[in-house]
Amino acid sequence: MIANAVGFQTLVKREMVRTFSIINQVIWPPVIQTLLYVFIFGLALGSRIKNVQGVSYAQFLIPGLIVMQVIDQTYSEGSSSVFQGRFMNSIQELLIAPMSALEIVLGYVVAGAVRAVFIALLITILGVVFVHIAPASWALYLLTIALIAVLFSALGIIVGLLAEKFDHIAVLTTFFITPLVFVGGVFTSASLLPPVARKISFFNPMYHMVAAFRFSYTGQSDVPLALSLAIVGALAAIAFTVALRMTAAGVKLRT
Amino acid sequence: MTEPALEIDRLVKRYGDFTAVDGISLQVARGAFFGLLGPNGAGKTTTINAIVGLAHITSGAIRLFGHDVVRDWRAARLRVGLAPQEYNFDRYLNIRDVLIYQAGYYGLRGPEIAKRADALLERFDLSSKAKQPYTRLSGGMKRRLSLARALIHEPPLVIFDEPTAGVDVELRLELWALLRELNRNGTTIILTTHYLEEAEELCDRIAIIQHGKIVALEDTKDLVGQRSLQDVFLELTAR
Repeated sequence: MIANAVGFQTLVKREMVRTFSIINQVIWPPVIQTLLYVFIFGLALGSRIKNVQGVSYAQFLIPGLIVMQVIDQTYSEGSSSVFQGRFMNSIQELLIAPMSALEIVLGYVVAGAVRAVFIALLITILGVVFVHIAPASWALYLLTIALIAVLFSALGIIVGLLAEKFDHIAVLTTFFITPLVFVGGVFTSASLLPPVARKISFFNPMYHMVAAFRFSYTGQSDVPLALSLAIVGALAAIAFTVALRMTAAGVKLRT
Repeated sequence: MTEPALEIDRLVKRYGDFTAVDGISLQVARGAFFGLLGPNGAGKTTTINAIVGLAHITSGAIRLFGHDVVRDWRAARLRVGLAPQEYNFDRYLNIRDVLIYQAGYYGLRGPEIAKRADALLERFDLSSKAKQPYTRLSGGMKRRLSLARALIHEPPLVIFDEPTAGVDVELRLELWALLRELNRNGTTIILTTHYLEEAEELCDRIAIIQHGKIVALEDTKDLVGQRSLQDVFLELTAR
C-alpha cells in the first residue's frame, strides 16, 4: 500500500512547514474567531439562553465552533496547497518522484488532519479556560475530527485539482460549506428548531458532524450517534476515493 | 546484455486531434551525452514529460535502464532526474531543504542525505545561501539549484531541459564544465537546448525532432561533418 513511506512522511512534514510558515493565516484566525464567538454569542447573548442539552449556551457552542474551524481549515489546507502546487508547478516535485497517488493523497489528508487536531486542541483549551468545558470522550473527539478532516481535506484536494484560479476555491466555501455549517447546529440544537426545519437539518451532513462531535462533550445528541458517524464516515470514504482516483488519473496534473 | 539508459519505442503522444509526438524511437546508451534538439513546439518537452511521468503516453513504450516507465514506474523514476526549464521550487522551503525534501520524496533521508545536500550546495556554490528561500536567489543561482536538485537522489540519467537558457556567458561555461564533469563520472545526460553550439560542444550524439518526428539521429561528428550544426539544423527543420 505505502511503498514509499519516507516520501509520504516528507510530504506530511512539508505541509506542516507550510502551515507554520503561514501561521497568521491558518492557526491564529480560527482561534481568535472562536474566542470572539464565545464572548459575543456565548457569554454576552448566551447568558439570556437557558441550558441547552444540559450545558450552558457558551459550553454548547464550543464543540460546534471547533467543527466549524476544523472544516474550514482542512478544506483550505487541501485546496490551497494542491492548487498552489499546480499554479507554481512545484507539485511536479511529487509527480516525478516515485510516489503513488495514494501516498500523495494520504500525505495531504494526514497533514490536514494534523492541522485540524492542532487547531481543535487550541480551541478546546480555550473552552476549558473560559467556559469550563472539556471533552468527556477523547476517543470520540479524535475519531470525529479525523473523519471530518479526511472528508474536507479530500474535498479540498478535489477542488484544488479542478480549480483554474484561486476564486474557484472559494465557490464551495461561500455557497455550500459556510451556509450548511451555520444551519448545521453550530449555534442551535435541532430541538429548538421548528419541526420542518428540524427534519431538513437531518439531511444536512454538517448537522451530523456537529452532532457527533458535540456528543464527545455532552454525551447527548438529537440524532443517534451511530447514524451521524456512519454518514460522516461514508462521505469521508467517498471524497477520499474520488480524490485518489483523480490524482491517480492525473487530472490537471499530468498532460 | 546491458539495457540502454533510455529506450523509446514508437512513442506517440496526442492531445485531442493534435499529435505532439508521432512515433519516436531512439536509444540513449549508458554514459552518453545526448542532445535532443528541435524548434519550439517540435515535441522535445512532451517527450521529456513522457519520460519522467508528467505526460501520459498515448501509445508506444519508454524504458529507463530496462524499467518500463508505466508498468515499473517506481524503479524507472528512481533512475532519472530532471532539471526543468522553468523554476518550480517549493516556495515554503529554504534552498537546503529544497534538496533534502526532494530526496525525501525519493524515499531517502538521514545524515547521509544531509551531507549529500551540503556537498551539492558546495559544488554549485550555493552554501552561503543555504538558509534562504529560492526567491532571494539570482537567475544563475536558481539555475544551479535546479541542477543540484536533479542530482540529489544520484540518478544515473539526468535530463537537463534548456539548462543555460537566459544565463550569461560566464555561467554558461561554468554549467558546461559541471555537465561535463557529471558525464565523465558516469552519469548519462540528455540535454535540450536552443543553443546549437552548446549541443555541438557537449553532446556526443544528437536527435533532431521536427513536428513530433525524428528527422536526424546520429553521432554529432557524423551529423555535422564539415559543416556547422546550425546549418544542418536549419536544413533539416526548414518549414
